[in-house]
Amino acid sequence: MTTMEDKVADRGAPSRTFDMVRQAGSGDLSRLAVLVVLVVLGQIITPAFLSLGNVHVILMAVAAIGIMAYGMTLVVITGEIDLSVAGIAILSCVVGGLLIPTGSAVLVIGATLATGLLVGLLNGVLVAAIGIPSLIATLGMLGISRALANIASGGQALYPEPIAAYLWLGRGAVAGVPVPVLLLAILGVAAILLTRYSTFGRALYATGGNVRAAALSGINTVAVRTVVFMISGVCAALAGILECARLSYINPAGLEGMELSVLAVTVLGGAALAGGSGSITGTLVAAVIIGIVNNLLNQMGVSIYLQQVVTAAVILAVVLPGMWRRGIVK
Amino acid sequence: MLELSRRQLLRSAAAVSALALVPVTSLLAQADDKGVHTILNELIKKYSDEAKASMSNEEVAALFEKDGFRDYLDVYPVGDLAGGFVWKPGMGATFTGPHSKLEIKSPFTDYLPLPEGPVLDPDKKYRIGLVFHGFNHPWLISLADTASWEAARHPNIELEVIDAEFDDNKMGQVIDTWIAKQYDGIVLWPSREAPMGPPVDRAIAAGIPTVSLDRRTSSEVISSEVLGNFYANGLQQGLYLKHAAPDGNIIFNRKDLGSTADSIRTGAFLEVIGNTPGYKVLANYHTNSQRTLAFKSTADALQAFKDISVSFNTGGEEAMGALDAIREANRLNSAPGGKKIMILANDDAREVLKEIRAGNIDMVSPYTPLIGDIGIRAVVMHIGAKEGKNEAPPKLIMTPNLPMITREKMNIEGIETLTPDEWPYAYGPEASG
Repeated sequence: MTTMEDKVADRGAPSRTFDMVRQAGSGDLSRLAVLVVLVVLGQIITPAFLSLGNVHVILMAVAAIGIMAYGMTLVVITGEIDLSVAGIAILSCVVGGLLIPTGSAVLVIGATLATGLLVGLLNGVLVAAIGIPSLIATLGMLGISRALANIASGGQALYPEPIAAYLWLGRGAVAGVPVPVLLLAILGVAAILLTRYSTFGRALYATGGNVRAAALSGINTVAVRTVVFMISGVCAALAGILECARLSYINPAGLEGMELSVLAVTVLGGAALAGGSGSITGTLVAAVIIGIVNNLLNQMGVSIYLQQVVTAAVILAVVLPGMWRRGIVK
Repeated sequence: MLELSRRQLLRSAAAVSALALVPVTSLLAQADDKGVHTILNELIKKYSDEAKASMSNEEVAALFEKDGFRDYLDVYPVGDLAGGFVWKPGMGATFTGPHSKLEIKSPFTDYLPLPEGPVLDPDKKYRIGLVFHGFNHPWLISLADTASWEAARHPNIELEVIDAEFDDNKMGQVIDTWIAKQYDGIVLWPSREAPMGPPVDRAIAAGIPTVSLDRRTSSEVISSEVLGNFYANGLQQGLYLKHAAPDGNIIFNRKDLGSTADSIRTGAFLEVIGNTPGYKVLANYHTNSQRTLAFKSTADALQAFKDISVSFNTGGEEAMGALDAIREANRLNSAPGGKKIMILANDDAREVLKEIRAGNIDMVSPYTPLIGDIGIRAVVMHIGAKEGKNEAPPKLIMTPNLPMITREKMNIEGIETLTPDEWPYAYGPEASG
């Protein structure tokens, strides 16, 4: 039954949606400020920080996690969460890896991406069509994906060395720009266009802002949420390829805990887990912030254990003021 | 004397013989009277004593002190092999791994041997449980391979293999289940010491012989512990470095702080180089057995330091990650004087041997997972002792120290290194390319 409040909310939904889209990037300025401070700090601490070599190292380190985080951001904007990204990445790479003996790059890469798409679709159906909370559905899918990766590979690593095109995705360059960085940029632009300037993008924010209102205003929220899980699945698979190609090594036990790093980048990028907000530029900046922090700490010889503390502190330092402004925390 | 002449003859022959003959001749040449195990134990004692007396390299000493290596090294058992066994390269059986389906040459199948066929009472079925972690890890799958292979040689042994998936509680529950079912023996590969003590104590209290593999538990009443050779690993990394370069700027990719593998291997390495003034510690990372982390740490270190000459890696995963980062940065030959960055590794995975062959990784100290068979034989002997059929094996069953593998044959402080082609015991899938 539709109440008067609902009707009012419905009438207000479109304009609120546009507001959300417009304001999505408003927090990006504070993140950009943090980024600038880190860059300046980095150059002071290590003189070669802004060297081409070091910039290359930082961008390469964040390419895969950034691409995964793009997908996660879209999911989070709709008010859902995808904890299965690392599992999808590994399962996809193992499925593709099993086809390495065919020698066909199309088959190997195609199967990898198709697996990501398929598992994403499954996530979408479980969450959007069946109504299982995404936290539970994707947590389950994380376990299933990892287990299937182990079963399919017999627990043994796979080596994509014979597939030159596969390795090129992780190690190649176009006009001097590494392919993973290029993909990070291209997909970033595509995702920005999608979220900011398309009907689908507005549907994402509307669904995340108020799924019921969005549905009543004619948005197919089941389709929207299913599609974002599929996009997240493909992003995860592609990120998996980049990581595996870079090391020429598909480890069925690899990328352990990466889903939490991806989620951290997404949250640091300004996406609210409650849905309805978040931006791709914020996610990209957040990924670079994390990359710079890790790079600097490694160069300073800070232990990995302390690095985890510092990274968490940086996330809190960036996220908390915004939450405080929005009244989420007191 | 006759044997020495024969060895000399074979060594001379090696210089002129076809490549195919090299493995055979080298294996025989390694057959020193003492055996490599004893030679390495003597070197462990020598360098440990020297390091205890003093450590003149202040940077190395500071790292050694900071992470408390002495505490770990002093309690890590170093000793003789059970029953006076002398291991020589070339020993062992070849079979297809029941779990991995990979071709395996297992080095220690002659150690505490049991003849094929029924064991103990031929009319009785002996139920043995093997609980470990990691049907998702090549090293651990190989460990299970050797245990299952040994069990399959004896028709009256029924082996149940369970993967506790790195969950100590699950491992404890599995052991308790086997106690309830009154299994005849239990073999375990514990991930961590402390949590597995109580379940092992319960099994022993129930009269079930229990043997741990590779790692220890906190149980003081465990029947036997089959222990690895971490000490010899780190020692040989240090020996190689000292032999190859009197000085160098080192970056470390280490396993988890406080883990036995890290404490003993890194500690032993530092003991060896601790009295050589030319070594400098540039950076020290814990990359926790993750290739990706080792890659990232090394990539960042390469930006921070332009004069890295040595990459010390506590494990094979770390070494592969470091190598990939060095290659990606195009810095393989960027050590001072245009020399190659020396990469020191542990764990004789096939992919590591491939990089040794290619000259990218300089040396590896083998740490074989192919010891599950020893655990099965030991537990059977304990069951036999309980039934009054034989003597019990010793509580500490040391696995033989293994010589390092290098691209070319070398003799380093009495250790004759083996080349990858002379090493049939590598584990894991064949790296392509």
